[in-house]
Amino acid sequence: VSAPDHGLAASAAADLAPLDRRAFLRWLGALAAAGLLPAACTRAPAGLAAPAGLRFLSPRTWSVLNAAAARIAGPRGAELVATGRVDPALRADEFLAGAPALARPLAQALLALELGVFPLVAKLRPFTALAPEQQDAVLAELAASRFATKRRIYGGLRSIALLGFYAAPEARALTGYPVGSPRPSAGIADAMDWPEDG
Amino acid sequence: VTAGDGVESLSADAVVVGTGAGGGPALATLAEAGLEVLALEAGPRLSAADFVADEAISRTRLGRIAVTSEGLQSFYAGTCVGGSTVVNDALCFRAPPEVLEAWRREHALGPLADELPGYVERAWRDVHAEPTDRAHTNRNARALERGARRLGWEAGPMHRSVRGCANLGRCNFGCPTDAKQSSLVAWVPRAERAGARVLANARVDRIRVAAGRVAGVDATRLDPATREPRVRLRVEAPLVVLAAGVLASAPLLRRSGIGGGRAGRGFQAHSSAYVTARFAQAIHGYYGPTMGYAVSEFADVNGRAGPGYVLENTAVQPMQTAAVLPGFGAAHARAMAALPHLAHAVVVLRDRTRGEVAPGAAGADPRVDYALGAEDLGRMRHAFSSAARLFLASGAEEVLLPVEGSAPIRSERDLGAIERLPLDRTRLTLLYAVHLFGGAPMHGRRSEGVCDPEGACWDAQGLVVADASSLPGNTGVNPQITIMAHALRVAEAAIARRPPR
Repeated sequence: VSAPDHGLAASAAADLAPLDRRAFLRWLGALAAAGLLPAACTRAPAGLAAPAGLRFLSPRTWSVLNAAAARIAGPRGAELVATGRVDPALRADEFLAGAPALARPLAQALLALELGVFPLVAKLRPFTALAPEQQDAVLAELAASRFATKRRIYGGLRSIALLGFYAAPEARALTGYPVGSPRPSAGIADAMDWPEDG
Repeated sequence: VTAGDGVESLSADAVVVGTGAGGGPALATLAEAGLEVLALEAGPRLSAADFVADEAISRTRLGRIAVTSEGLQSFYAGTCVGGSTVVNDALCFRAPPEVLEAWRREHALGPLADELPGYVERAWRDVHAEPTDRAHTNRNARALERGARRLGWEAGPMHRSVRGCANLGRCNFGCPTDAKQSSLVAWVPRAERAGARVLANARVDRIRVAAGRVAGVDATRLDPATREPRVRLRVEAPLVVLAAGVLASAPLLRRSGIGGGRAGRGFQAHSSAYVTARFAQAIHGYYGPTMGYAVSEFADVNGRAGPGYVLENTAVQPMQTAAVLPGFGAAHARAMAALPHLAHAVVVLRDRTRGEVAPGAAGADPRVDYALGAEDLGRMRHAFSSAARLFLASGAEEVLLPVEGSAPIRSERDLGAIERLPLDRTRLTLLYAVHLFGGAPMHGRRSEGVCDPEGACWDAQGLVVADASSLPGNTGVNPQITIMAHALRVAEAAIARRPPR
C-alpha cells in the first residue's frame, strides 16, 4: 500500500490545489503578480539571500517558506535552515518543477501567511518579522482553526515545508535513518530478529 | 514508418496500452499466442540499476500523484514500464469468494465469478507468490503479530511475489535486485521473448473507432528527459487492450468518445491512513519487506464479517513518516528523531463510497470526484482505535494517530479519546489510496456497464479493458493478483473473439 514518499507531496497537493479556488487568495496572488502590493510586502526580508535560479518561488515567498520550515522542522532543523545548510524552499522549488499546478496556490498560501492579518491570520505584522514563538502561535492557530481553508493553508504549508526539509540527506540524518547505506547488512540482521518475541 | 506529415505510423495485430498489473499479463498472453503485439507505455523504462534508495528521487521518477477535485485525498500510481507493480509491496491475495459472488449477483457477472479463480492460480504461480517466512518478517511485522496474538485477533503473514528477497526495504523504490516479480521483471520480458515490442515514453492520446470497430490508437512520443511531446505516432491495430490504470483508462475512453455517460463512473478505492507506534526497542522499520503481515480480524471478506478493513505493517521511511505524524515543531521533530523505534500500521479500508474519474483539462491530471463518506470515515475511526489497541497490546510506549490535534495514546484509558476526535478529512495528515478500481466496469447488461463480462467494450468491437478499471468494485484485499488474473482472462477471451485471418 505504501509508496515511495508520495506522502508529503500528496498531502501538499491535496491541501494546496483547491486553495486556488478561494477568491481572496486568488486576489492576493494576482495583486502580487501585478506588482500592486507595496514594495515592502513583496521584497524579501533581510537575512539569507534567495538563491539564484528559483523557477517558481519569488525571493519573498522563498524566505517566507524557509521561515515557516524552520519552525515546522523543530529546533535542530531550524538551525540547519538558519545556517543555510538545508534550504527547504529551494528543494520545494525543485519539487514544483514536477508539479507546476501547485506553484500558484502555494504562492497564495505563502502570501496569506506573510501578509495576512486578523481575522485571516492571527497577527498584525509580516510572518517573517515575528519572533519564533509568535510564528509558532500563528501556525498553531491555523492548524486548530475552525475554518477549513485555514487548516488547509496550514496543512499544505506543513507538507511542503517538511518535504523540502526532509528531502535533504542532512535532515534525514537527524532522524537516525541510515542515510547512504544501501546494503547495511548489520542493520538488516537486527531488523529481522526480535529477541523479545515469543 | 514516418509519413510526410511527420506522423510516425506503426501497425500490429494488437496494441496494449500500459504495462502494469493489467497490461503486462495481457501483453505476454497475446505475444505467446503468436500475435504481433506492441505495448505503449507513457512512462520511461527503467531497470534495477536505475533504482536508488532515496525517497526524494523515487517519488518523481516512478509515480504520479492525483488528488480529488476538492483535495483532501490523494492517489498514487506507478508511471514507468511495469506500472504500479514497480512501486508496490508485491502482496498477493486471491480474489475473495464473497466479492466474486457479489459481482455475479449485482453485476450479472456469472462467467467472471466462475472463471476468475482459475486464472488467479495461474497468476499466483507465474509471479511466484509465496508466504512471507520468518526470515522476511521484520520487527514492524512482528509487532503486529505479537499484538494480534495477545488480543486473539485473526492475523497472519501475507504472500508476496518475490524470488530471493534481500530484505533491503526498497520495494517501493523499485527493487534493486529484481527479486520482486513486478510486471517489469515477470511479464514484460516474457512477452518480449515471445516477440512483443514495448515502446516506452509513448503516451496514448486517443483510441480510434470507426463504424463501431476499433482501428488503433493515436499517441505521442515524449522526450524521455523533458517529457515534452516529440513525435506523433499512429498505430493501426484491430485489437486494442486498454490497461493504462484506473487514473488513465476511463479518461482515455471519454476523450475518445467511448462508453457514453457510463465511462468514468463507479470509481472506488481502498482508502488508507497510517497509525504509528513508538517502541522502547529499535524496530528499524526501514529494513525488510515493506509489507508482509496483515491483521484481518476486521475484514469483511474471506469468511470475516467485520466492518471492512485490514491493518498491515508498512515501511518506516523518513519522508513518509514526516507526512503522517501530526503536528509541527519540537513535538514533530521529537517523534521523527525516534524513527528507528517507530512502527507503522496502515489501514486498508474497503470503501463503500463511489465516485467518478474523468479527463482533466488539456495536459492536466484526471479529475477525480471522490468524497469519502461519513460511514467510511466512521469505519476509519474504528480502524484507528483497533490499530492503537493492537500496538498497545504489543508493547508500544505510545501510539500516534494521523489526525491533527490528536494526543498520543499511551494506555487503554486513552482509547476513548479517539471516539471524540473531530475526524473530517481536513484534519487527517494523509488520506490516500493506491488500490483503485472502476471507471469502465464490466456488467452483464449493456445498459449498465462499459464492458461485457469478458472485458470487451460494449460500444467498440476489438477494444478490451484489462486493468482494474473494468472491475466492478473494490476487493477488500490488495488487488495485484486479481488484476493480473483478470488481464489473463480478458486477453484470452480477446484472442478467442478475433476474426480468422
